[in-house]
Amino acid sequence: MRLLVVEDESRLREQLAQGLSKQGYVVDVAEDGKTGLYYATEYDFDAAIIDIGLPEIDGISLIQQMRVDGKEYPVLILTARGDWQDKVAGLDAGADDYVVKPFQLEEIIARLNALLRRAAGFAKPKLEFGRLSLDITTKRLLLDEKSIDLTAYEYKMLEYLMLHPGQVISKTELTEHLYAQDYDRDSNVLEVFVRRLRQKLDPEQTLKPIETVRGQGYRFVLEES
Amino acid sequence: MTPQEKPSNYSIQTRLIISFSMLLFVFLGLTGTVLDRAFRNSVEAGAAERLQVQVYLLLAAADVYNGEFYFLEDLREPRFSQLNSGLYGFISMAGLGELWRSDSALTFDLENPQFLRKSIDVGEAQFSKAASVEQEEYFILSYGILWEDGISKYNFTVVESATPYYSEISNFRKSLWSWLGGVAVLLLLMQAFLMRWGLLPLHRMARDLKQIESGDKNQLAENYPKELQGVTNNLNMLIETERKQQDRYRTTLGDLAHSLKTPLAVIAGIMQSLSRKPADVDKQLDAVNEQLTRMNQIVSYQLQRAVQSNGGLSLARQVQVQPLINKVTDALVKVYLDKGVKVHAQLDSDAVFFGDERDFLEVLGNILDNAFKYCDGQVAVTASSLVGSDRGLQITIEDDGPGISSEKREYVLQRGARADTLAQGQGIGLAVVTDIVASYGGAIEVNKSDLGGARVSLQFDFRRTES
Repeated sequence: MRLLVVEDESRLREQLAQGLSKQGYVVDVAEDGKTGLYYATEYDFDAAIIDIGLPEIDGISLIQQMRVDGKEYPVLILTARGDWQDKVAGLDAGADDYVVKPFQLEEIIARLNALLRRAAGFAKPKLEFGRLSLDITTKRLLLDEKSIDLTAYEYKMLEYLMLHPGQVISKTELTEHLYAQDYDRDSNVLEVFVRRLRQKLDPEQTLKPIETVRGQGYRFVLEES
Repeated sequence: MTPQEKPSNYSIQTRLIISFSMLLFVFLGLTGTVLDRAFRNSVEAGAAERLQVQVYLLLAAADVYNGEFYFLEDLREPRFSQLNSGLYGFISMAGLGELWRSDSALTFDLENPQFLRKSIDVGEAQFSKAASVEQEEYFILSYGILWEDGISKYNFTVVESATPYYSEISNFRKSLWSWLGGVAVLLLLMQAFLMRWGLLPLHRMARDLKQIESGDKNQLAENYPKELQGVTNNLNMLIETERKQQDRYRTTLGDLAHSLKTPLAVIAGIMQSLSRKPADVDKQLDAVNEQLTRMNQIVSYQLQRAVQSNGGLSLARQVQVQPLINKVTDALVKVYLDKGVKVHAQLDSDAVFFGDERDFLEVLGNILDNAFKYCDGQVAVTASSLVGSDRGLQITIEDDGPGISSEKREYVLQRGARADTLAQGQGIGLAVVTDIVASYGGAIEVNKSDLGGARVSLQFDFRRTES
């Protein structure tokens, strides 16, 4: 999943970017509202974390502008003052949740996961598709209640596909949302991951959870239960 | 510190002086001019009348014989016989010119001799002014006569020196203007005194403010004139707020510093023991985290206290309750989207909070957040004006969660004067709410709700804040 972090305090920005990357997110950072707005409208993100007190364009205005520009992905606001005036203003402007500074990284990750899941239309943290179920808080995949081991990138790909069930995801989109900019990648890598996923999820080849749409990309085809 | 603006060019005193003086001069000037003009007209009218009498005299005494005029009787007026007496008589005929002149007029001539040839209607008297060849002013009255023969038309003219009249006018003028001048000076002086008296309250206010500045006084006195009451009352309120705010800052800083010492000491101790590399490092680190959380709580709480407005200042504002509650519930529904909370709101559109919006949001936010957090899926909010007060507010917030046990209810509302009294794990939210509600003189109660969970009731009566 690709995240935008807009925070003017450099140390905090670094901490967030590093911490989130370690969790497997692809993170782009901006240090003021103007740059943030540029990134938000230029690139496709899955979620954004925005500090309320920003130079150039303040956080509230940034969120308002993003919503006006049609960016619907979830936004998590960071507020230092923590008073309800700020929180309500941010949520009213279009944010989906708030975190008060200072915070623990775990809190951000938990809320982010909840927002991403909600944005994909899942009311609960467990995405259940018949025999397969993915818990995005614990990052565990279960096939018939048995846990399946996935590597970091296998998990990232599967999570992305399962959060957009029934949608055709192009290779380009997958690459943008799973890999940081400077990663040197080969388009064949994605095919390799898909093959491995199919082997792990569907050893008897009965489920066929991931469909290859010729010339367009991949699609997760199982029905939600 | 904003740079001091240059004081306006004209002080109130100067403005009053200038306007009054202008008024005075205009009024006295007009009056003087009018009186002067009236007197002059009166004098001239008087002169005309006297000349008319002289004309009748001449007429009575005149007789014509062979085209020449004779005076059988002595002219009653001796000046007609005295040379250069200043009173001259003429008889003339239109077109023809002079037929007779009095003895006094022997060496007399007006600048314009044509005056004798003028044609004047019978019975008409023409009054005018002219200069003599010596450039002296004269009054002239000419009268048109139809002689006894029924044919001959004569002009009887009397000319009198205007000098005595003019000197009368000029004397009057001198008197008039010197008296008016005297009155003007007197009025200006009076005005200066009266103005001092009128502006005294302002001077007094300036003096009082200086005394307040230097600390000799606390407030402006009550006995200012009606027009200044508004200003002095507001000033007093501002002074009061300022003072209270300063007090609060001082106490808050003191409390903050004091209450941080304990967690800092605990952390110091833990660091010491960690330096000996004990086995239970994880437990020690947890303890450090705990203290850090605590310190964060303390700082947040004191920060909230420091920036709270002085509840109840009536220089303030009105906050519309209905839209604000809707905003907060909308925001919370978003935050707790997973729960799918249903909000039942009954909000009077005329319910108003007389105070700071930030304070009100803080109270609403904290209480509603708790309701959403602990509810099972339903939250009910009501807001209405307080019965029995024209400036009051009543709000209740209920949820269908597990509720708060009766022992905890009292505890939860205690004013956390120092955050040391906050229990571990308890957020500072409700402590802030209690503080704010108290600062507005309001009341807060926690009970059991019909929905099954907690029911928080708030009551505010804002009348006590009226000055």
